[in-house]
Order: sequence, then structure tokens, then C-alpha cells
Amino acid sequence: MYKNKHQWARKIGFGFSPNDDIPLDINAWNIEQLNDEFPSFGLNKVGLWPEKYNFSIKQRFERLDKHITYRNKVQAENIDRQEKNKRVRASKKEADVDKYDVYKLWNSAIYDNDIFKQRLLHFWTNHFTVGGSNGFRNYVIGDLIYNVIYKNLNGSFDDLLYLVTSHPGMLDYLDNQTSIGENSKEAKSLRKKGKIAGLNDNLARELLELHTVSPARKYSETDIRNTAKVLAGWGVFVGDFIEEFNNHKKWKNISGNTKFEEFVLAPYVKGRAEPGKKVVMGKTFPSGPKALRKLTNMLAKDDFTAQHLSKKLAVHFIGENASKGEVKVIYDTWKKSNGDLAAVHRATLKVAQATKNKKFLWPSTWMFQSIRVSGARFIKENESGGGFGRIQDNGRPAYEPLGILDEIGHNFWASRQPDGYSEKKLDWVSTEHLDRRIRIASRIFRAGPSRSGEEIADLLDFSDRTKLVISKGRGSEEKFIIALCSSDFMEV
Amino acid sequence: MISRRHFLSIAAPALALSGYPVHGFTKEPIEGRIIVIMLQGGMDGLLAIPPVGDDNLFKQRKALVASNPLKLNPLFGIHPNFRNFSKMLKSNEASIVHATSFPYTGRSHFEGQNVAQSGSKLPFSTNTGWLGRAMDFAKITGKALSLDAPLLIRGAPEFDNFYPASIEKTRSPQTALIDLIKETHDGDVMIAIDKLSRGSMSGPSRLRARDPLSLATKAGESMRELNGPRVAVLTIPEFDDHSSIGSTTGHHPELFTLLDNVFYNLKIALKEQWDNTIVLTTTEFGRTVQENGSAGTDHGYGSVGLLAGGLINKSSVVANWPGLASKDLYEKRDLFATIDYRSVCSACIEAAFGLDHDFIIEKVFEDKKIARVYEHIFG
Repeated sequence: MYKNKHQWARKIGFGFSPNDDIPLDINAWNIEQLNDEFPSFGLNKVGLWPEKYNFSIKQRFERLDKHITYRNKVQAENIDRQEKNKRVRASKKEADVDKYDVYKLWNSAIYDNDIFKQRLLHFWTNHFTVGGSNGFRNYVIGDLIYNVIYKNLNGSFDDLLYLVTSHPGMLDYLDNQTSIGENSKEAKSLRKKGKIAGLNDNLARELLELHTVSPARKYSETDIRNTAKVLAGWGVFVGDFIEEFNNHKKWKNISGNTKFEEFVLAPYVKGRAEPGKKVVMGKTFPSGPKALRKLTNMLAKDDFTAQHLSKKLAVHFIGENASKGEVKVIYDTWKKSNGDLAAVHRATLKVAQATKNKKFLWPSTWMFQSIRVSGARFIKENESGGGFGRIQDNGRPAYEPLGILDEIGHNFWASRQPDGYSEKKLDWVSTEHLDRRIRIASRIFRAGPSRSGEEIADLLDFSDRTKLVISKGRGSEEKFIIALCSSDFMEV
Repeated sequence: MISRRHFLSIAAPALALSGYPVHGFTKEPIEGRIIVIMLQGGMDGLLAIPPVGDDNLFKQRKALVASNPLKLNPLFGIHPNFRNFSKMLKSNEASIVHATSFPYTGRSHFEGQNVAQSGSKLPFSTNTGWLGRAMDFAKITGKALSLDAPLLIRGAPEFDNFYPASIEKTRSPQTALIDLIKETHDGDVMIAIDKLSRGSMSGPSRLRARDPLSLATKAGESMRELNGPRVAVLTIPEFDDHSSIGSTTGHHPELFTLLDNVFYNLKIALKEQWDNTIVLTTTEFGRTVQENGSAGTDHGYGSVGLLAGGLINKSSVVANWPGLASKDLYEKRDLFATIDYRSVCSACIEAAFGLDHDFIIEKVFEDKKIARVYEHIFG
């Protein structure tokens, strides 16, 4: 039972900073977060998050396209290689959007008021992993996080599932843009030219295994194959999006969509789709773009999806030892509400508050909590003070927000496997992981926290054992590091 | 205090002298070393080691065969990017096992990954790895060259990991501080912090030298040291490509080159200890025999394992070739696995740790049906 408001705010969020207004009615405040729009604070909590750093999907593609066009032009020019590289780097720096997206993730976790919603954002971003770093996908991952997942956290799971599955980032990440219906127009024409064309089942397999029903549902290879057939036609390689759109528009091969924005958010290319009906797990789906929504709806409503996700939510917030009873509260709510995420998230709150189980925090959750609770000014840049402009020669921002997430092995923009980051404690316990935490704690200390190690221990009702150890630390830095790296802080 | 590892190397021969067999050990324990290279994803075994003597290969695959494989024997060739590995085959310090897999046919990446590390037939049924358990029985220490401690090595009495930090303006924490932090923890976290405190991590390292090649060199160097670890686990990511994986050149062939150079770096760094070493690859899923529509292959069953090291006496390609005609494929789709890869793991444990085969299959894998392939691989 979480009676200490500061601990409770860590269980389901990122804790309270010395500058936060502590809500009187903590339960009402939690629910309010789910229902209301909270403003996103600007860097270092100065003003609001600048609108110019919220990028629409169209803006993201335009920036990428501008960069690629320029890069191709420079590559073709007859100038020396060093000069070419210099110009391409400058163009990339100008075009990059992920640095703003990453800053926003840090900033929201440390300063925004809707901390439960931010934690849910991290959970669902991990559930629907889209790995980055192919040079292009990083332009759209932020769109998936902020414009798709965050905006649908209190909607229905079937909406979220459909929007994520049809998002250009996911379609690119799991190779669906190269999966072409075997009897599609494009496959036939490619085969005439002696080329191979047909399906791959990457997205289909993970949609079933990871995103929805899980292998417990015991679907067959044919189900996976037919899911791939429903998915065929969806997706365009992120790096070629604008070019492909223009090409297909010329060929009038895009199903019903003529506007770029509409195409981007439902990138279905009729000429690549597999004609005819498909049967997945006993249900028949028609040909055409509407079949995907019908399929994701079916998967979203499946009992195994409810089981899989109730358990995953419970483990994320409660810990690996979440009891069957705790999972059942979430599961029952899922079933009763038909996958209404607002209701499901409320149920998650309810069991998280009543539980005795603890969760070993993810490295980034721990780090953001350490910064927030201690009141350190870890993000030093603000708009007037240089903000995102301070980029070093190697292309990384001076303060390396992306680099630090990489260092702690927990970066939503990194290249990684589609099952996302583990929820298991042992996967995060190693000498190297613990070395990173001590180093990060030391960095946070040097960013000027307003709470000392002892104050944090008192605030969060640490055990007597930990308080005693903190008292043995030599100097305020050691005491501070011990507090943040203690079991009481790492597990909540 | 005498370490457990020391105890074994002193005590075991003494016991043997007095005529008592050491339970589990087939001969007097040897100072062998095992290095596992985990290929994250699935290596396309037919692209790496193409059975060029099987006509059905070219019927089933139109594009995904390198145009110029080196011929190993009438049946098998090897992708030309395995330059160093080919030399090792020539000099009798490498072997290949084909048409093999861990006993998992589900084609899920993550269940497959779990089985390849746990060595258990049922995914997610144990919290230790096959290598960790073997190390436990043989009382051997090891190191994972990664930020985390992979499941494969868990269960070992002593294991550690190495992955140098690169956080600006920080340095390795002081021992006294680490010891204090340790006092606030219990269980696994306490054990890990204790290792950190004992400076089991290697000294200052060059920043960012964390690519597989540098880590291979690091692994070889530390395993060469007196009392260094006798087990290392490396990972090579990105074997989970599904489209445009390449044939003669391309993404998969680039990964072959990387893997080939990892073998080479290990050999160079291990120096004389290479003679006591066996390196083996593991893959998390096989690949379909036919190409998919994206110039790639999808998840399948059978694949290939590459092994190298001085513990091998005679190179061979070990396979009970199932054939590539559609009727011979697993579910008419994948290369059949006719050799349980746990046999291969068992042979490596036997060669490097001196444990008896029957003991390994009973205690490490809890499956008495695993066949012994030691003679085939090690010659």
C-alpha cells in the first residue's frame, strides 16, 4: 500500500520534484491525468514546449526528403570527399528531428505534470517497439510516440493497434514495405522482369506474437501467412516516402488516397496488395485496405490479447511477482470495457496502489526519477541559452541526451529487437549496468540537485538500514549517490 | 583464501592419482575455454554454407546463393566472405555442423532465442542458461561482453560482464563507495555490486571500443591471462533481417565478414591459448529454404553452426543431410534439423571442460537422448 505520496508518485510516475505542487487528493489527480490534456513544459520548465518542435508527420517527411535530395545532389557533384561529407553532415543536422523528440521525452519525464501518462507512454512505446538508427526511421519514431501513442492512451486498444500497425515507422521497421502480394499487379510485373516478388512475414508474425495474442493463442503458420497477405500493400520505405507517393500518384495506383497526409497515415498501395479473401484464425477478411482494420479489431478483441496485455501491464507497474489476482483485476476490466484503455489504466492504478510487490525500475525510469526527485538541473540548455543548437562536431548534442540513453542501454530510438526492453529484473542486473547507475548518479549530483541524499531518504521513507549506510558516505556526493543507487530507490 | 577454480585444478589430479574417478569428469579436467558467439536473429545457414552439391538448392533458391562459394567437399561450399574461417578449416582448426537446430520448431524469434540460451526444450521454463549450468558443474568462471548478463551464462558460480562505459565527465566509481551501496542491497543485485567492488571489471579501456571486433580482442586478451575467465559470450546483432539480405554481397554477407573477423580477432588475441579453445556460434532461428518476396528469407527451423579453435584436431563438415527437395523439408518449408544443436554444445563442453557426455546431457540439458557428436566435430 502506497501511503507516502512521494513513493506513490514514483510507483506510477517519476516522483515529485521540490518544485512540484503535491496534489491533495492523489487518486483524483491520477484519474485527471488520464482524462485531461496537460500542457507540456518547455525546456527546463521555461514556458510551454515550443510548438515549432512538435513536428507533424508531413513536416518530418519533408525534412527527410529535403535532406536526401540535397545529399544526392552533393554526392553527384565534382568536389572532394571531405567537402561533400561536410555539406551532407550540415544538411543532416539541419534536417534531424529526433534530437527534439528525445529532448521532449527527457523534458516531459522530468517536468511535466502528467507523470502517470508519461510512464504509460514509455510502456506502450516499448510494447510497440520500432527500432531506429537506419538513418531514416528516426525521423518518424517521434511521430509514433507523440502523435499516435500519447494521443490514444485513453482511447480504445483497437484504435491504437490499428494506428500503430499502419504507421510508416512500424511498416518500415518490420519490413512490410517490401512484402508484396504474390498475385498483385506489382509482383506480376516484377516477375516478368525476372525479379523476385512476394511476401515476407516479419510484421505479420510480430503482430500476432508480440503486439496482440502471443504464442499462447496457438495460431498456425497459415494464420501468419494470411496475416501477411492482409498486410501486403501497406507501407513504403521511409527514405523514399515522398518520391514513392509522387510516383504512385502518377500511376494512379494508390487506393483512394490522393493527399500526401492521408497517404502517409494509411500508406496502402493497391498494386502491391494481395487480391482475394484471406482467412486468419477462422475468420474471413475481404480484399482491399479495409481488411487490416477488421483484422486488428479481431486481434484487439481476442481473449488472449486481453490476457497477454493485462499481465504485461501488471508486470510493468507492479513487478514480476504480480499475483494472478492482481492481473485478473486488470484483465476483468479489459474484458468488461472491451479494451478501453482509460478503464484498463485506471484498473492498473488501483492494483498498483494496493500492492506490496516492488518493481526494479528500468534504467531510464530510474534516471528520470533521480533527476526529478532530487531537483537537479540536468537539462541545462534552454531556448535562449542555445537549446538544440549546441551540436558538437560529431553530430551529437552537447549534453548527449540520446547518448546517455544508449549508455544505460535503454533508448527508444536505438536499433533493437522487436520484443523491446525486458521487464525482468535480472536482465538489468549486471556489473556494467550498476556501474552506469553509479556514474549517472554522480553526474546528476554535479548538475546541482536541491535535495541531499539524506533528504531524499527521509522524503521517501527509506529503510533504517539504507539511512545508516547513507550516513556513512564521505561527503555529500557519496551520500547522494548511495541514496539513488540504494535498493530503496531502485525498487519501488 | 583459495578460489574454487584453483581448488579444482589442484585437487582433481590428486584425486585421480589416488584412483578415485571424479564424478562427471571423463578425464582429468583440462584448462579448455569456450567462447559462444550469439548471432542475434537467425543466420541463413544455406547462404553461409550452401550445399552446392544438392541440385535442389538452385531449384528452391533463385537469388540467395553467392555466385562464387568456395568448395569444401562435393556437397558443401562456403560463402567467400568467410576468408579467415576457410583458412582455419584448411589448417584443421574449424568445423561446421549443418542441418542443425536447438529442439524448437515454433519459428518465434523470442521463444527461439530463449531456447538457444536456456538449452531447455520448453521456452521460458528456466532462469539459467546451458552454459552457466555447465560452468557451475565444472566450477568455471566466465565473462559476457555485453551491458547485460545474458541468460546463456546465468547459473554459473562466477560470471561477470564487460562493456566499457562512455559517459562524459564520469570515471570508474571508488571501491569504498561501491561497498557502501552494496550494503543496501540483497540477492542478485548485491552479488553484482560485490563483483563490481572487487574490481573484477577490467581496468580503464578505450572509450567506445564496444563493437564486436574490439570486444572479441578484449575477450581473447583477458582469457589469455593467468586466472582469466575461461568462458566468454559475445553477441553479433542484426541477424534478424528479412528483406534484401544479400547474396554475394549485401547485409547478410557483411555480417559474415564481421563474424569471420571476430573468429580471426579471437585467435590472434588468445595467442597460445587458442590451442585450448573452442568457439561456437548459436542462432536464434533458422531460415526458410525458399526466398520470400522481399529478397530475404523468413523464420525457419534448421540452420548451421560454425566452430573453430585449437581443440579441434581435424576439420569436418558434420551433417546428416536431409535434402532440399520440397518433400524433404520441415513442413515443406524449412531445412530439416537432423542434429540437435545441444549435441554440439555438449561436445564443446566435453572438449573444453572435460565433463563426461552422459553427465552433461543428464545434468546440463536434462535429456538423456542427446547424441554424442564429439568425435565428428573434434576429430
